[in-house]
Amino acid sequence: MVFGGPGPYGVAAPRILIVDDDVDLRVILAEQLTADGYEVQTARDGEEALRRLAVAWPDLLIIDMLMPRMDGLTLAREVKVRADLPIIVLSAIDTADSKADLLDEVAEDYVTKPYHYPELRARITRVLRRVGDRVPRQRLVLGPDLALELHRRTAIVAGVATALTPTESRLLYALAANLGQTVTTETLLARGWADTDDADPSYVWVTMRRLRRKVEVDPNKPAHLLTVRGIGYRLVAAGAASGPHIPSGHELLR
Amino acid sequence: MSEPDQPSWLSFRIRLIASLIAAAVLPLMVFGGVALVVTGTSNPIAPALARGLLLALAITAIGAVLLAGWLASDLTAPIRQITRAVDRVAAGDLGADELPDGLDLPGDDDLARLGERHQRLARDLARRNRELRGILDTLESATLNEPPEQLATRAADAARATFGMIDCTLVLGDPADVPADEAVPGEPIPVRAPLVAAGQVLGVAAGRLPATRRWERADQDLFELFALEVSAAIRNAQLYTRVEAQNRRLRELDQAKDDFLRGVSHNLQTPLASIRGYAQQLAAERPDRRLTIVTEQADRLSRMVRQLLTVSRIESGVLRPAQEVFAPAALVRRAWEGLGASDIPFTLDDRSAGWLAVGDPDQLDQVLWALLDNAVRYGGHTAITATITVRDAAALAITIRDSGPGVADADRERLFGRFTRGAGRPGDEGSGLGLYVARGLCRAMDGDLGLEPADGAPGAAPGAAFTIWLPAEEPGEA
Repeated sequence: MVFGGPGPYGVAAPRILIVDDDVDLRVILAEQLTADGYEVQTARDGEEALRRLAVAWPDLLIIDMLMPRMDGLTLAREVKVRADLPIIVLSAIDTADSKADLLDEVAEDYVTKPYHYPELRARITRVLRRVGDRVPRQRLVLGPDLALELHRRTAIVAGVATALTPTESRLLYALAANLGQTVTTETLLARGWADTDDADPSYVWVTMRRLRRKVEVDPNKPAHLLTVRGIGYRLVAAGAASGPHIPSGHELLR
Repeated sequence: MSEPDQPSWLSFRIRLIASLIAAAVLPLMVFGGVALVVTGTSNPIAPALARGLLLALAITAIGAVLLAGWLASDLTAPIRQITRAVDRVAAGDLGADELPDGLDLPGDDDLARLGERHQRLARDLARRNRELRGILDTLESATLNEPPEQLATRAADAARATFGMIDCTLVLGDPADVPADEAVPGEPIPVRAPLVAAGQVLGVAAGRLPATRRWERADQDLFELFALEVSAAIRNAQLYTRVEAQNRRLRELDQAKDDFLRGVSHNLQTPLASIRGYAQQLAAERPDRRLTIVTEQADRLSRMVRQLLTVSRIESGVLRPAQEVFAPAALVRRAWEGLGASDIPFTLDDRSAGWLAVGDPDQLDQVLWALLDNAVRYGGHTAITATITVRDAAALAITIRDSGPGVADADRERLFGRFTRGAGRPGDEGSGLGLYVARGLCRAMDGDLGLEPADGAPGAAPGAAFTIWLPAEEPGEA
């Protein structure tokens, strides 16, 4: 089933593939997304989804977790083997579920059913926007005491792995993509809290303070996460803060 | 009594020398003396003869003493040898198969037999020591997760090698299933020992020894000790296997429960998503209060499903709240609006001065919904206030207060239990889980939920006030 055509995005409307075994949900979600200018395709199960992928790749997949024949996790893994397409899991399971951890490996985000459409739309926008500045699924070494594995939401601080929250890793995504350069508080706010209407700069400040406690060996003398007072923050590799040469993200990716 | 620190052979040797001298020399000297006396009175050559006799007697006496000393020393040499050997055995030096320094006593007399007995005793001691070492090695290598049958087979092999048996088996089960063989001279010797642990007969160890092998009481004792120790190891392995099987079963059941709850949740939430979506779509086309009610009730049902899932997770201890920072005021406002109780006056008093809570907004939403729903349900349609304050410089307190009849003293503590409701609430349609789940969620976020003490103003409606505590962070650029 194909819904919609050129919407507000013009001819380059983002294409979304919805995979869910519930026909009513497929229809209503497709109608909602089409009305917002997305080009939508649907599939009733994993096998149909993979058949559709063989013809054309969408820009984003929305996948249900529990489906007959092939569950959402298996499908998401199959998809990632073929192409690194962004995936949002739309499922009745919530973050406290034991399976939610598995999703971190394959899904960019997840939304619980019954979904609130504005929230889902905000997350779709955020995931699509982040595709542009996605940090490769590698380890980013910033010095002897800090390495980031953002696709696993993990920071390795002085050899010890520390878990990052989804928001913290989103902010680090944004900072790592502009390594050594200042990222404004407004940009970080938009990256971290796109789906929160009432977020203000204090969200960024407090999260940065907490992040510093996690990733800095001495949070009072930060070596990597530096404040540019009144403007924003920058992420630097150890020893590069005052040096003339600031290595780019690609130079540091090993 | 002899002196304990004086070697007994020494006094024995002296006594032996004295005896030999007494036995051999004294009669000769008496004879000489008599001859001297008799010849001395009647013979003119007596003085010369007497001198000759005296000289002969003196030489004989000296020779006899020397000969007796040599004889005594030669006779006691084997005893000294045996004593040294006993000393070495006592010190634990059993040698290999032979005694060191060769306790070699030729002949067939009592001393030779004593030496041979001693040598056999030392050899037996050395062999039993080796057997004991074999037993200990077998037990040391036994691990808890080794299957009991495998352990029994290994122990049987070890027993065969250790005790030099022709064959040996450890049978787990009724010992009567293994009939005891009769001992027939010239035939292999049957031996057996019960396998007993914690007063329970586990089976029997049975084997056969070569017909030439001696099997003493001490050997049987050692074999029974071996059987006893192996029994304890087998019993431990059996218990471990049983506990492991139970654990596996429990894990399977837990998994099945998780899958079941996940399935139930999926089967309820998916249609609710459609109901909600269509209702909202219709409401957007043509606003209708009834469609709003459909949406609100769909939300309510969805929250109750989640509440049931949360109960299961609280009990399994697997609530894993996110650690995000957020301002709770907007969340309180949204939770209130989601209830759709627009006919009840509601005030939100935010005195948090920009402080942010740290926790899981989704979980806090569940907590707020439960508390506000309670206030609507039991507040008797009185005004509800939500107050957010900073307390103790590191915590945010969100207090939801109604002006209803309040909570009876008897109910204050049990209110947070599972499936409990306050007394005097007949026809209550709540699940009885709301406060239990809410407190569990708060505690999982390193916060808490409590009931504020009732205001003591006489005559005034006491009202009920619940306070959520959450870790907090002060605002300000860092």
